[in-house]
Amino acid sequence: MKRYILFIILGGILLFFSACAKKTTENIKAVSTADPAKAWRKNPPVPAQARDINLGEYSTFDLANGLKVIVVENHKLPRVSYQLSFNTDALVEGDKAGYVSIAGDMVSKGTKNRSKAQIDKEIDFIGANLSTSATGIFGGSLKKHSEKLLEVFTDVLYNPVFPEDEFEKIRKRTLSGLAASKTDPNAIARNIANAVNFGKDHPYGEAQTEESIKNITIDDCKNYYKTYFKPNNAYLVIVGDITPAEAKAQAEKYFSKWEKGEVPVQKYKVPQGPEERKVAFGNKDGAVQSVINITYPVEMKPGNPDAIKVSVMNSILGGGVFSGRLMQNLREKKAYTYGARSNISNDKLIGNFTASASVRNEVTDSSVVEFLYEMERIVREPVTAEDLQLAKNGLAGNFARSLESPQTIANFALNTFRYNLPKDYYNTYLQKLDAVSIADVQMMAAKYVRPDKCNIVVVGNKDNVADRLLRFDSDGKIDFYDPFGRPVVEKKVEVADNITARNVIEDYIAAIGGMKKLQSVQNLRTVRKATIMGQDASFETVQMVPDKYMMKISMMGMTLQEQKYNGTKAMSGQMGQKQVFTEGKEFEGIKSQSVIFDQMEYLKQGYKLELKGIENLDGQDCYKIVVTKPDGDQATEFYSVKTNLLYRALQSQDSPGGPVTVTNEYKNYKEVGGIMFPHTIELSGAMPTPIVMEISEIQINGPVDKSIFDIE
Amino acid sequence: MRYLVLIFLHFFVFEFSQAQLNKIEFREFTLDNGLHVILHRDNSTPIVAVSVMYHVGSKNENPDRTGFAHFFEHLLFEGSENIERGQFDKYVEKAGGTLNANTSFDRTYYFEILPSNQLELGLWLESERMLHAKVDNVGIETQRQVVKEERRQRVDNQPYGTFLEEIIKRAYKVHPYRWPIIGYMEHLDAAQEKDYKNFYADFYVPNNAIVSIAGDIDYEVAEALVRKYFNDIPKGKKPIYRPNIVEPPLGGEVRDTIYDNIQLPGVFMAYRIPEQGTEDFYAVSMLGTLLSQGQSSRLQKALVDEQQKAVAVGNFPLDLEDPGIAIAYCIVSMGTDVKAAEDAITAEIDRVRKEPISEEEFQKLRNQVENDFVSANSRVAGIAESLANYKMYLGDANLINTELQRYLAVTKEDIMRVANKYYTPDNRVVLHYLPKPATP
Repeated sequence: MKRYILFIILGGILLFFSACAKKTTENIKAVSTADPAKAWRKNPPVPAQARDINLGEYSTFDLANGLKVIVVENHKLPRVSYQLSFNTDALVEGDKAGYVSIAGDMVSKGTKNRSKAQIDKEIDFIGANLSTSATGIFGGSLKKHSEKLLEVFTDVLYNPVFPEDEFEKIRKRTLSGLAASKTDPNAIARNIANAVNFGKDHPYGEAQTEESIKNITIDDCKNYYKTYFKPNNAYLVIVGDITPAEAKAQAEKYFSKWEKGEVPVQKYKVPQGPEERKVAFGNKDGAVQSVINITYPVEMKPGNPDAIKVSVMNSILGGGVFSGRLMQNLREKKAYTYGARSNISNDKLIGNFTASASVRNEVTDSSVVEFLYEMERIVREPVTAEDLQLAKNGLAGNFARSLESPQTIANFALNTFRYNLPKDYYNTYLQKLDAVSIADVQMMAAKYVRPDKCNIVVVGNKDNVADRLLRFDSDGKIDFYDPFGRPVVEKKVEVADNITARNVIEDYIAAIGGMKKLQSVQNLRTVRKATIMGQDASFETVQMVPDKYMMKISMMGMTLQEQKYNGTKAMSGQMGQKQVFTEGKEFEGIKSQSVIFDQMEYLKQGYKLELKGIENLDGQDCYKIVVTKPDGDQATEFYSVKTNLLYRALQSQDSPGGPVTVTNEYKNYKEVGGIMFPHTIELSGAMPTPIVMEISEIQINGPVDKSIFDIE
Repeated sequence: MRYLVLIFLHFFVFEFSQAQLNKIEFREFTLDNGLHVILHRDNSTPIVAVSVMYHVGSKNENPDRTGFAHFFEHLLFEGSENIERGQFDKYVEKAGGTLNANTSFDRTYYFEILPSNQLELGLWLESERMLHAKVDNVGIETQRQVVKEERRQRVDNQPYGTFLEEIIKRAYKVHPYRWPIIGYMEHLDAAQEKDYKNFYADFYVPNNAIVSIAGDIDYEVAEALVRKYFNDIPKGKKPIYRPNIVEPPLGGEVRDTIYDNIQLPGVFMAYRIPEQGTEDFYAVSMLGTLLSQGQSSRLQKALVDEQQKAVAVGNFPLDLEDPGIAIAYCIVSMGTDVKAAEDAITAEIDRVRKEPISEEEFQKLRNQVENDFVSANSRVAGIAESLANYKMYLGDANLINTELQRYLAVTKEDIMRVANKYYTPDNRVVLHYLPKPATP
């Protein structure tokens, strides 16, 4: 009995699964064995006669209240599952995006008869599982416990009370999920793709935001439940160790008293795809990879006569395990990515085409070229008979393997009713698949693959990547979006003609006290306090001209990290382990910390300053300056146009997980000894939660014990 | 009077009607070369799972050449004398099948799931792998890079991804469980072609393997095909190396802090426990269920629901062939002190050590265990693997039908006893995972 399930969230690394090790090396002719008796080994065996694939049976009946029940009998295991699916149309949630999903979650968080804790206890007691969502309720247990399961299942269905404290717990959890998703490039790409494909006034184009989650009230959830949880709007699918007669008795007993009601039907505009190529860009500062989605809406309702042919075409373009052309080209040939795929989804409202990959920054534009090339090629050239056969075999194999689960038969039945498919739709699937021809594939490609009319959604490092994508955009203008798919309005503020990067730095120096004053500083000691994971930490820094430096981070009375530079050697220590450097990147990095006012260095030779324009950060216009240090390291800094003070600085830093961008925000400037110091510094990017450091001590030209700079 | 009521209650509450488990029928035989074969017939879907389990895992490795068992899991897809390089998986894809492999501390497992008329293809591929796989420098070089990428992706770049290797290197001093399954990369770099060839010759032999086939087969046809492809694969020339190393008691708590690229701190506690198949292992396993299976389990309810000190908790034993460990862990919620979260776990464990479990809660455990056992074998691929596991580790494939009895023999007192015996502070390794501090 495996118990690894509980552990999946940690990525279960108890077993290492090889991803069927792929090779890029050339084929080498096998050396044949000398033994002639083993000649039969040289070639793969001929397959035996294939057995017919039989789909399992199902039965169905309706209750008087309109609930349609589907039963799949399968006695392999003494288990039964009950899946209640609502046929609710997707809703436009507007400024409360997310309430439908929270409503579904809330249904199982307490009833008139049971608290959440009681529900959990009773379900666990019989070793069962039960979960609810906006689109249904699922429960499963051993057959002998099925009555008890249905008792709790239907209590949850009929009597939810939506308790306030559980609502707040879910809201909090949703908000922390959203906070994390703001830095997840795939989540950002999904939000932008939905927005550009379907539009914000279509249910598929909406995205949850922090504001929309805060707008949701318990009443919104209650109303959703009251309106849509109706039997005439639902299917009950019963699967497992149960006869149709037993199923019917249970359905009558537990579901016949459920009252029907009118359920609103939604009307939508059908989203139209772009008429040209459009680049939609989402910025992720410091990203080392770009997520590319080439995507557009496609009308492909379930049961569409093209659907099977399209799946074969897509399998050749970007499906299969490793055999798809996108994978072969972008991974095996070009090594731009770990994986590249494409998909055309079926959907009752509107489907979509999406071809996607994550690629390293410098090949972002080249990857788009290859994507478009493969899309054009499958439209232009007929596929080979071999490609076609491989795709068909793969799809037939997937189909056959899926039939092992009785749940698959249940889903087939559900789809047949829900989408009004022909009764034999799934029974004839393999024949239809087999009949797909080379000409069909080409026809499908011409109809559904649109390399000239697509959204090219890219999420990545704007400064490195965005400009190089201009050439793909038909009107030559890239549209920028925020992480939730809302257009970023670029209020272009032009830099006055007579301002240079050097001016900005000089103005900053003047603003904090003037060159003379800064030059008079011989040493500086600061202590900053911060809270890290609920614990107090202190950051002490001492700098002394011309080149001495000491920094110490302490927490719970321990020294967590320290750094020193004594003029010739640099030291970095972490948890008592010390390393001394006399050259290299670490050495230069620590050495540079001995400079008290960096900007005084910027004006010296060897530094390159570029003024990149004005950007609005948190409501204030800032000059964006890129500083290139003599060793080639770059930093991006933002200086307030109004106060000339440094507001934000970004620098890339190595970490075991790859380079990360560390952001320092300087706030709350106050004068000490004639010099303006930011009394609050917010450090983010290096850790998941920003560290807010407040000055607790600051001392200019005070006594300094020089031995603190000593390095053993 | 009191007695009577108790006995009556006992009788009432304890009534335990076991679900009518459908017995899994199978046939077994052993070839002259020592290869053990298990066949399970289920004709309901025309698919078949063909698998080979080799009794070699990371614990069979030379301490200077760690990572070999897992490396072979990659290398043995390179081809054979009769299968060209890169064609192994193509044969399976073209046949409409799928394939994969995995490695543990104790064994390595390969499988294909094919349309049932392609059973012979699966046997041909697996027999080629056992008889004369390509073990040469071309494949070794390619796979070295792939394994390094795998390590970066799955361990180094994965939040908390190092926890298992950080635990085992502190929980074991002499036993080969002390090194990670994926091994040390410098060992793979240092290894020569002949090291790999020797490893192949030592462990990839029929007398160290179990062929397990489940699905749409005919017993006679399947047996004849297995004999055709595997009969004349020669037996290994040497005895198989099986470490006979007894790890001494931990001798006091081991405690450490690991800094990682993570969002939230984590607590990982490993308690040394006996090997799988022992009576105490079953009790320890049920203790794990009590602590963390389901929303109403003790750790889930206390740490996640009520105290909100953690966003996730768990407790599970590693089912190993030699004495192993059980790991209790939690991911600490934002703003909670790590030590407070650790203490909350320990408090729940202490409660098991001191307070008797109620009849009702004990009955819940038994129901959960039964549900898991009964639900486990829903697919032929899983059945093939379970049959091989039971045979390899416990010597009896029929435990797939009967092991539940061993769980149900565990009493509440047993659970309390093993909590006191193994879940003690001086028998554990405690790791705190903290977010890496940044350089300001």
